[in-house]
Amino acid sequence: MENFRRVQTVDEDDGQPLPFKNLHPDVVKMRVKEGSKIRNLIGYAATHMLSEGTGQIVFSAYGRGVTKAVTCVEILKRKIDGLHQVTKLQYKTLQEVWEQKGPNVQHPAPCLTVQKKYPSINILLSKEPLDPQEEGYQPPQSMVPTETAKRFSESDIEHCTSKKRKNKSKTEESEG
Amino acid sequence: MAEQKPLPGRVHHTRRPAPRPPRSPNDIYVTTKTDFRAQLARCRQLLSTGDFRELRVHGLGLAIGRAINLALQLQLSYPGTLHISPNTSTVELTDDLEPEGGEDMEPGARNRNNSAIHIRVYRPQGE
Repeated sequence: MENFRRVQTVDEDDGQPLPFKNLHPDVVKMRVKEGSKIRNLIGYAATHMLSEGTGQIVFSAYGRGVTKAVTCVEILKRKIDGLHQVTKLQYKTLQEVWEQKGPNVQHPAPCLTVQKKYPSINILLSKEPLDPQEEGYQPPQSMVPTETAKRFSESDIEHCTSKKRKNKSKTEESEG
Repeated sequence: MAEQKPLPGRVHHTRRPAPRPPRSPNDIYVTTKTDFRAQLARCRQLLSTGDFRELRVHGLGLAIGRAINLALQLQLSYPGTLHISPNTSTVELTDDLEPEGGEDMEPGARNRNNSAIHIRVYRPQGE
């Protein structure tokens, strides 16, 4: 293995439709990767969801990015009330090409093609109601208004991070 | 928070174990330390004895990926008969803070959130 290096990865599932029924045609797909910053993802997603329009968004991730995708969805659900959710799991196939390296390599260098299967997740969030019979459906949770569950406003988007959330600041909105 | 001292005043903390609701034999908790193949074998055994129509696979934080993998592997080993229904949630964890030095002993606690996944692996009705 140490005499090979990865020269190319091809996403075999690229271009395939998302595994959801009745998707709105201009749904936004967020490709969450391991190094994506949560504040960037949430910032974009929240502006999209708060804007007038479809109100559907899909977070998809594979491999080591799945944790981050779930975290993003959980934060977004807490920020914006009344989101319906459908979660789907599947394997994502990636084709990797490995090329031999080292001191004695014939030309052209021999290549190895490997198919890898990564566990992947696709999460659909929607403002409009979805089919409750579908596998992986979660209804909107009625949020208990706590200090951390602060209502989301436009001005918060820039300061939105998962870790630096101000726990102490009391919400001034009086709810119910 | 406490006074911002330089490095020596850094607060050490220990993590309390994650809360686990009462478990039945068909609740599978996946962690990064559980042996994947052993857990997969245990799940297969539970499903093949026929005692359970349904398993619930739970994964917290970094173990979410492993939990997904476990559920998908289970589905692959019973092709066409198992359905998967995942749910996500947030789990509140508590850290115990241990101030070092002993002068200003203020054993406190800090709460933080982590994501979790709960996957229902089940045989549909009527089979």
